[in-house]
Amino acid sequence: MKLSRVLLGLLLAALFIVPLTASAQPAEISVFFHSGRGAERDALDTILTNFNDSQSDYVAVATELPEGSYTDAVNAAALSGDLPCLLDFDGPTLYSFAWRGYLIPIDSYASEDLLADILPSIIDQGTYNGHLYSLGVFDSGLAIWGNKAMLEAAGVRIPTGLDDVWTLDEFDAALAALKEAHPDNFILDLKMNYGEGEWFTYGFSPILQGFGADLIDRETYATAEGVLNGEVAVAAMTWFQDLFDKGYATTTPPDDNEFINGNAALSWVGHWEYNRYATELGDNLVLIPMPNLGARAATGMGSWNWGITSQCENQDGAWSLLEFMLDPEQMTIMTDANGAVPSRISVLDADPNYATGGDLNIFVQQLQGSVAVPRPQTPAYPVITREFATAISEISTGADVQDTLDSAVDAIDADIAANDGYPAPSM
Amino acid sequence: MAITLGTSSARRNERTAAYLMLLPAAVLLIVFSLIPFYSALRLSFTNQPLVPQLLPDGTQRPAEYVGLDNYSQLLRLELLTLTPEVGDDGQPLRDDNGDLVFPRARTILRGDEQYAGMSELTQIHLLGSRYLLAASDPAWWRSLFNVFTFVLIVVPVQTSFALALAMLVNQKIRASNFFRTVYFAPVVTSMAIVSVIWFFLYNPDQGFINNFLSVFNVGPFQWLEHPASAMISIILMSIWQGVGFQMIIFLAGLQEIPEALYEASALDGANPWQQFRFVTLPGLRNTTIFVAISTTILAFKLFVQVDVMTFGRGGPEDSTITPILHLVNEGFRGSQRVGYASAIAVVFLLIVLAISLIQRRVLTEKEA
Repeated sequence: MKLSRVLLGLLLAALFIVPLTASAQPAEISVFFHSGRGAERDALDTILTNFNDSQSDYVAVATELPEGSYTDAVNAAALSGDLPCLLDFDGPTLYSFAWRGYLIPIDSYASEDLLADILPSIIDQGTYNGHLYSLGVFDSGLAIWGNKAMLEAAGVRIPTGLDDVWTLDEFDAALAALKEAHPDNFILDLKMNYGEGEWFTYGFSPILQGFGADLIDRETYATAEGVLNGEVAVAAMTWFQDLFDKGYATTTPPDDNEFINGNAALSWVGHWEYNRYATELGDNLVLIPMPNLGARAATGMGSWNWGITSQCENQDGAWSLLEFMLDPEQMTIMTDANGAVPSRISVLDADPNYATGGDLNIFVQQLQGSVAVPRPQTPAYPVITREFATAISEISTGADVQDTLDSAVDAIDADIAANDGYPAPSM
Repeated sequence: MAITLGTSSARRNERTAAYLMLLPAAVLLIVFSLIPFYSALRLSFTNQPLVPQLLPDGTQRPAEYVGLDNYSQLLRLELLTLTPEVGDDGQPLRDDNGDLVFPRARTILRGDEQYAGMSELTQIHLLGSRYLLAASDPAWWRSLFNVFTFVLIVVPVQTSFALALAMLVNQKIRASNFFRTVYFAPVVTSMAIVSVIWFFLYNPDQGFINNFLSVFNVGPFQWLEHPASAMISIILMSIWQGVGFQMIIFLAGLQEIPEALYEASALDGANPWQQFRFVTLPGLRNTTIFVAISTTILAFKLFVQVDVMTFGRGGPEDSTITPILHLVNEGFRGSQRVGYASAIAVVFLLIVLAISLIQRRVLTEKEA
C-alpha cells in the first residue's frame, strides 16, 4: 500500500517535471513550404539545419505540402487554427492571405538597412494596405530569349539594355522578318504549352501594361471596367491575337522544346529556362529585354515569398528565421539551387550571371529599373488571374477581343461586389 | 392457434430481417445523400464562401442569409427589343453591307441600373426585329444547353453503336474474345487518363487525328480550340470511352435470346434484317431500356473529360461548359461562392429529377 503511494507520487512528480524541463528547450518554429523542385527542397532543408545549428533559442520544423493544392492546404489550416509560424506563398496570393487575416505586418521587424538592400520589386510585391507583409528570398525575371544566329540571319537588331529596347514597330518588323525567313515555323515561343494558369497572367499581362492598359484600376482596386476592357486593352489584346493569326505563334505547341530545337527564334519566358537554354544554345543564346509596346516597357516579376502568420505563438522567432533565410550566405544556397534572381542587391552584385555584363543582368535591370510590374495587389487577385488567363486562352484561339475582355471585367467586378469591395482588414 | 402465433412471429422475424438488410443502404443514403442535400439547400440561401475571412479575434466571419438572391441570380432572364442606331439625319444607320447597325448589348445593359450584372446570352432575329436575351449568369444557361445537346446526341448514338459492336463481337468467329477485350479496355481506363490522351490526339498541328485525316486531304481541324467543334470532340471521345460498357450489357442480352427463335424465323424465310427487326430488337427490349436510362444519367453528369480537356474552363467561349463544371467552378475555383454553387446543385437536381420521372412515366406506360 505504501509502496504504491510512493510510486504514484513519483509518477505525479514526473508528470510535472517533464513540462518544466521541456520549457527550457528551444521553442519550435513551424514552417509550411511548397514542395517544388527537388533542388529547392534540399536547399531549404540545408538552410533550416543551418538555422537550428546557429542558435539554441528556436528550432525550425518544416512541413512540405504539394504545390498543386498548397493554397487549399493553407486555407484549411487557417480555418482550423493550425497555421504554422512561417509560410511561403506564390507572390500575389499574399493579398488574399493578408485580407483573410492569416498574416501579420512585418514592418516593425525589418530594419532599414535590410530593406535598402532588397530589390524594390520584392518590397512592392510584399506590400498590402500600406504595410509590408512578406519578403522573398528570390525574384523572377521575364524577358525574351533569342537565337542569335537566326536573328542575325534575318537582319534583326539585338538590344543590349533598357536604353535600346525594341519599339513596337521594331518588334513587329523583327517578327515579320523571322517569319519570312522561316515560313513553316512558329518563330515566337510563348510557352502556350504551360496551359491555362498563372503563366498566362504572369507572362502576358505585361502586354497590357506595355500598351498602357492594366488588369484593374490600381488607384481604387474597385473595378476593372474601362481598364481591362478599354480601347487600349483591346488594342493590346488584338495585337496579341495577331501573333497567332499571322502564324508567329501557336496555341498548341507540340512540346516544350520549340526554342532549343531551333524552330522558334524567340522564346518569351522567364529566368527558369536559363540553364537548359544555355546548355543547348551556348554562345548562340541572347537575352533580349522586354520591348516598349507603346506606353512603356513592362515585364512580370514576383515569386514565392515568406510571411509570418497571425496564429504563430512565437512571431519574434519566426522573424529570426526569416531574417536568417535572407542572410546573403543562406540566400545563395537557395538561388544556386533554383537559379532564380536573388532578392538582395549585394548578392546580385556578387553573382557573375547577374552582375553588370553577366548573362542575366537584363533581368536585374528590369527589376531595378521599374520595368517590372507587380501583379495587382488586391485580395481579388485569384479571380483576376483566373479570368485573365481564361481571356488569354479565348483570345489566342480567335474569340472576339472586346467581348472576351468585357466578360472578364464582369466576372472580376462581380467578385469585388460580392465581397463588398474587399475592405481592408482592421488592424 | 399455435400455428397462427408461429406464423406471425415468423413474419415479425422476416420484417426485422428486412429492416436489418435495409439498414446499411439506408444509413449510407442518409449520411451521403440526404444530409449533404439538406446542407446544400440550407447553404443555397446564404452567401457562404468556401473560405471565410478570419476576424481579428480569430473566429470566422459568419455567412449571411440572403434569401432567394442566389436563385434569382442563377435564373434571371430578360428579353429586350433592340432598336437600330439612328444617324444625325434621322435615318437608321446601315453598315457596309447595308445591314442595320444595332448598339452593343453591353452598352444597353450597363446603361440601365436595373440590368446591373446582366450580360448577353444570345440575340434573336424574328420577323425583322431583333431581340436581346440577357441573363445574370449566361454560363449557366449555356451549360444547360450543352448538356442537353450532349445527352440528345450521346444517348441514341452510343446506344446504337454499342448494339452494333455487341452484335459484331457476338459472331462465332475466332478472336472474338480479343475484340471484346479491346472494345472494353477504354471503360476500365480512368477517364482522366483517357482525356489526357485524347487531348494529345486532338492537337491540331501534331495530333494523330489530324495527321491521319491529312492523308485523305481532310482538315486540319481545330478540334478543342474552336467553339463549333469543341463539344463534338468531347462527344466523340466520350462515346469511344463509354461504348464498351453498353456493349457488354447488350452482349449479355443477346446471349439471353434463345437460338431457337432464330432457327424458327429462318425456317419461316426471314432475312437477316427481318431477324434483327423482329427477333433481336424485341428480345433486347429490357436491356435497351436499361442501357438508355443508365447512359442518360451518366451523360447528365458530364464533368471529368471537359474539366481535363479544357483546363477546367468549359471553353472555348463556354461551348463545353456543363452544369457540374459550372458548379465546381463557382464553388471551388475563382470566387469560391459555396452558397451560389449550392443553389446550382439544388436547381440541377430538380431538373434531373423531373427528367427521370418523365422517363419513368413514359417507359412504364409502354410496358402497360
